[in-house]
Amino acid sequence: MAADVHKKKGWEVPNGSLAPGDGQHAERSESPTPGLAQGTEPGAGQEGAMFVHTRSYEDLTSPEDGAAAARSPEERRGEPAEPTSMEQISKDFSELSTQLTGMALDLEEEMRQSKEGKLEPSPQTTHRDSVLSGKEEEDVTMDAWRMHRKHVFVLSEAGKPVYSRYGSEEALSSTMGVMMALVSFLEAEKNAIRSIHAGTALGGNGMWGLMACLAVLLPWATLAVPRGRLVAGGRGCSLAPPCSPGEPGLQVCPRPSRGTPSQADGYKVVFVRRSPLVLVAVARTRQSEQEIAHELLYIYYQILSLLTWTQLNHIFQQKQNYDLRRLLAGSERITDNLLDLMAHDPSFLMGAVRCLPLAASVRDAVSTSLQQAKAKSLVFSILLSGNQLVSLVRKKDQFLHPIDLHLLFNLISSSSSFREGEAWTPICLPKFNSSGFFHAHISYLEQEMDLCLLLVSTDREDFFTVSDCKRRFQERLRRRGVHHALQEALRTPFYSVAQVGIPDLRHFIYKSKSSGLFTSPEIEAPYVREEEKERLLGLYQYLHSRAHNSSRPLKNIYFTGPRENLLAWVTSAFELYICYSPLGTKAGAISAVNKLMKWIRKEEDRLFILTPQTY
Amino acid sequence: MSGRRVDAKVVLLGQEGVGKSSLVERCAHRRFRPGPYQNTIGAAFVAKVMSVGDQTVTLGIWDTAGSERYEAMSRIYYRGARAAVVCYDLTDSSSFQRAKFWVNELQNCEEGCRIYLCGTKSDLLEEDRRKRGVDFHDVQDYADEIKAELFETSSKTGQSVDELFQKVAEDYVHFTAFQVMTEEKGVDLGQRSGAYFYSCCHH
Repeated sequence: MAADVHKKKGWEVPNGSLAPGDGQHAERSESPTPGLAQGTEPGAGQEGAMFVHTRSYEDLTSPEDGAAAARSPEERRGEPAEPTSMEQISKDFSELSTQLTGMALDLEEEMRQSKEGKLEPSPQTTHRDSVLSGKEEEDVTMDAWRMHRKHVFVLSEAGKPVYSRYGSEEALSSTMGVMMALVSFLEAEKNAIRSIHAGTALGGNGMWGLMACLAVLLPWATLAVPRGRLVAGGRGCSLAPPCSPGEPGLQVCPRPSRGTPSQADGYKVVFVRRSPLVLVAVARTRQSEQEIAHELLYIYYQILSLLTWTQLNHIFQQKQNYDLRRLLAGSERITDNLLDLMAHDPSFLMGAVRCLPLAASVRDAVSTSLQQAKAKSLVFSILLSGNQLVSLVRKKDQFLHPIDLHLLFNLISSSSSFREGEAWTPICLPKFNSSGFFHAHISYLEQEMDLCLLLVSTDREDFFTVSDCKRRFQERLRRRGVHHALQEALRTPFYSVAQVGIPDLRHFIYKSKSSGLFTSPEIEAPYVREEEKERLLGLYQYLHSRAHNSSRPLKNIYFTGPRENLLAWVTSAFELYICYSPLGTKAGAISAVNKLMKWIRKEEDRLFILTPQTY
Repeated sequence: MSGRRVDAKVVLLGQEGVGKSSLVERCAHRRFRPGPYQNTIGAAFVAKVMSVGDQTVTLGIWDTAGSERYEAMSRIYYRGARAAVVCYDLTDSSSFQRAKFWVNELQNCEEGCRIYLCGTKSDLLEEDRRKRGVDFHDVQDYADEIKAELFETSSKTGQSVDELFQKVAEDYVHFTAFQVMTEEKGVDLGQRSGAYFYSCCHH
């Protein structure tokens, strides 16, 4: 197996316009407070990391060489002065103007709108109950179909439909045609345009109107503005002024922050081209283009994990107009699940993995048991519960990429079929090695226990050896007597934010950059309903996109809204997002951050995996 | 792939959606789950202990994914199989064409593998005879031609499911017993004839 383990940036690198927002230097450990330097922040592994080191989702989108070049000079100048001490931070926050408050109104409006737009069926009912019995086909001419907050389409470069999140691909063939025309137009412009913004004075017909008017627009647009941004307005289309020369093609386009409700609720059409596939999202969410593109890349990797990059390319080299749905039959559910998961689970946004809270002694016993149940062909042994990591043991010098782990989490959560017997399936881990298959042994430890064991092997003939590893692992668990403790831990897979002891604190996300792990409490009241939870994640997404904006990255963000206040703090070592009561003050938030960081430090051996094991 | 844990490797093949996983579920857990059904990913392994007379036989049953995606990889699942249950949906004639594909594949690659044709979802025919899409006699003729056993089963009602796997286990025992006999007790005329006649003359 020719595994290119450290391939952080490979063939999938897009053009130079996708600059990472956070110009991060690994060698910034000379920062004044060693306690916060990368590698020593709470949650950082004591014996190195488990994962391929990733900065965040920029790893997906960052160009190979454009990273340094695209960073603004201000930022580079600002780096040495990066505040790492609490005092500095509180000073910064006090000085920080609350210019972002203006956005809240707009955001509220959008949230309200989305509630009104709840014509859309709940995710549960739109799920394809069974691809076998023919997926539940949605009528693409219905309003309900148009009201979905995020459409995702995958098509081949020949314009053949591959996947549609809602409705059947068949019924969408004309749309796919328009998209293909758009893509070739974008290609002709050397990727100058990656996304299109549209207002929705068009109402429910917005997307179709947009598509139609773009189709008309294309010929002259090509001539007129080579590096312009397309903005399709209500009754016609106009082109936004071209970007300034230094501005990257894909960027967060400033949107009317105090616009009328209809304008605020615009569509974004985002394209990602990964030959031989084209991925398109039509979104009404507040996410930035970068984040939507990031989700599209996940979908692309999901497809690779089923087919491998090599096979995918081979197929289309043989036959350009191949109907890929033949090979992907039955996998729609996995892709659907991935999209739903990305809308609920901050793991994807953070580009990090969440651990099941577990006493360090128990986790160590589990890890040691896993480590001892090894086999020659095993590369990774992963124990997970829900979408949380319990333990991960890896072969020496082999690192898993968080994206690959997310894909494995998604695979397991999207199918209940693993609960029966032992599964043995080929799987490609695209970030690890996109050219070949591993074989994964997937099984639940016990019928009624949400504890899934994943053993990744290089040898497809090794089923019985690997299956024996599982048996040995279970035996060791029993002998060490941690079975009961594990069961207890599974009963409370999430902790309450009340444990932190900060009255105004409602929720937070803390990511340790060096370990690639993050921790976050359960989302509790007032975020009870599904759409409330999604709204909270939407706020985090918004802060994240501001913090990682490629042209204007922010280190500290203080956001006041009518329903909650949020604070984001991004350093080279960690990222912290907190959400607290709207009545809380900025000073209160800063002291909360202090207290919270101390709490995380105190609890870190329970919330993180500090001593990752190798075979 | 072979392991000491099982006596006989049994593989289930057939177009996606014909009900291979339901068949295994019925056989191994004696239950039936009405939808939503999920595609099998890769293949699932279940060991099932059967008794034949006073012997016990452990069948290692491989429930393969029907998706075309795994076709290129299917060999690893059926290689060395002693029995293959090739499934088709009694209400869907295209699934029978797919079954024929698998039979050809097995005949070409796994000569030692006994084939059991299994028409699934027979309960649907109980409801409405007109739903039958695959003629019983046509399949019977085909089964005779390829020397296969034929079963029409329902995982929902359990009809003929146990019989099918019992037959697989019995055939394994008998076939293996026969094999052992021919190997150890067979008369090798070419080499031992002299000795045979020699001993014969002296007693």
